[in-house]
Amino acid sequence: MSISAAAGQSRIQSGDAAKIAKPLAGFAGAWPNAESRRDIVATVVVVVLLLAAMEVTSRFVPDYIMPSPVAVWNAARELFFTDPYHVAVTLVRLAISVTIAMTVGVLIGLAMGMFTHLRAYLKAVVVIDTGIPALSWMLIAVFWFKNPEARIFFILLVILLPFYALNVYEGVRALPKELVDMIESFRPSRWQVLRYLILPHIVAYVFLTTKSVIGYAIRMVIFAELVASAIGIGARMNLAQSTFRIDQVLAWTFFLVILNVALQAFVNGLEKLFLKWRAEATVR
Amino acid sequence: MTEENIIELREVSKTFGSYLAVDNLSLNVRRGEIVVLLGQTGAGKSTVLNLIMGTTCPNKGQIRVAGFDPYASFKALKGRLSVSFQTDRLLPWRTALENVELGLLILGRPKNEARRSAREWLGRVRLDGADNKYVHELSGGMRQRVSLARALAIDPEIIFLDESFSQLDHVTSKTLRGDFLQIAREFRKTCLLITHRIDDALEMADRALVLSPPARVALEVRIDDQARSSSRAMADLHAQIASAMGAERSTDH
Repeated sequence: MSISAAAGQSRIQSGDAAKIAKPLAGFAGAWPNAESRRDIVATVVVVVLLLAAMEVTSRFVPDYIMPSPVAVWNAARELFFTDPYHVAVTLVRLAISVTIAMTVGVLIGLAMGMFTHLRAYLKAVVVIDTGIPALSWMLIAVFWFKNPEARIFFILLVILLPFYALNVYEGVRALPKELVDMIESFRPSRWQVLRYLILPHIVAYVFLTTKSVIGYAIRMVIFAELVASAIGIGARMNLAQSTFRIDQVLAWTFFLVILNVALQAFVNGLEKLFLKWRAEATVR
Repeated sequence: MTEENIIELREVSKTFGSYLAVDNLSLNVRRGEIVVLLGQTGAGKSTVLNLIMGTTCPNKGQIRVAGFDPYASFKALKGRLSVSFQTDRLLPWRTALENVELGLLILGRPKNEARRSAREWLGRVRLDGADNKYVHELSGGMRQRVSLARALAIDPEIIFLDESFSQLDHVTSKTLRGDFLQIAREFRKTCLLITHRIDDALEMADRALVLSPPARVALEVRIDDQARSSSRAMADLHAQIASAMGAERSTDH
């Protein structure tokens, strides 16, 4: 009796462990393989060479042209204690803007894919939007909105939205007809087709778009802060430039590069988690 | 339309542009009957299936399925028909179990009930233990079993099999046909099978209709247990069907 009870308990525990481990499997899968390790080594080599070039150059030019890596490191340490609030503000703006752009872009992309009578008009709006330079949107935002937050969200929304809308539209168009016929054979409602077929199918497209735009989004939020806000990393870089603190400008630049890499890794991890059903294809 | 005919086509014609795909076709299928539509490629088998499914409308004639016009009353047949296709058409982001429960969820069954029923059907097609496997983790035969379980799980009155066994190897195809037949007889399902393989028809059908382009019935044969027990009778039927299909020799392997 006690043996079977213990065995039963053991099964429950291993089952629980499996349940806990399952969601983490996606992130575990993100652990670098041999090819990724080579990429990491190459990146480290390039960074070391860049730092060496900075060090050598800094010995021949004034500090306000090229500070030494040590000076930049010291500036970074100083910013770490004085400016975390600005980092947080930028990250929150980035997260909210990307989320809103993703949501609105996905809705527009779905509408383009599912409503033929709306498609041509929405497509025209999105294509015209892609043709408007980011700088024009920034200047327009300054005229249109008093609130700096509204300016930044508006700028990020109009710049990122077409990427999501067009990619999701392509995703809907790429739906295999065989699967559409299969689900139609059950005579579903439009909502059921969306829920069981279209939305799961476009998840991969949403991740692809997010990975593609994340670096661009960081650049745009910094630029928007520089033009339209007194707080955030962009605003602090503007201040550093106006006070001739190139060490701080470079420190912020390095931070933004690291932030981009970290966010890419985060999105990659989420992608592996959400698309765990996908077989990894390897081309020799 | 008579009470016992669950599918009835009367003088149905269908054209695509100037191409005549179905010409004045009349046929009926009785409740609980297993009927096979045979024909070479281009004989119009798939068009006939699409007409009966209601995914395309005829240019002329009348179609009734379970008392409804399948095209005009498309939604009225929800849950009463299901299809198993030539390829498995499983959703790759759903596990085997989740694929089987798809039709049940579309019919609005509660999640728990759908899951329990889907698990039972996976067991019936001999896929116990494959519940949580994704599509890429299953073999071709296993995928087709999941596809069959998905079609059967909603407990439809009529099941259409569109070349469902033709892409499988001979042994897997034979096993799966046997399993399907057993289930179809046990649950007294009306089945309409589309195939170009004569052996499939001889093994499974109560009645076989050979279509010749543009979807005319060239031959109708009944296949009963007495015929099945005689290899000579089966050979004769095979020859008749092959002749009607215009084939010099069977396309079966």
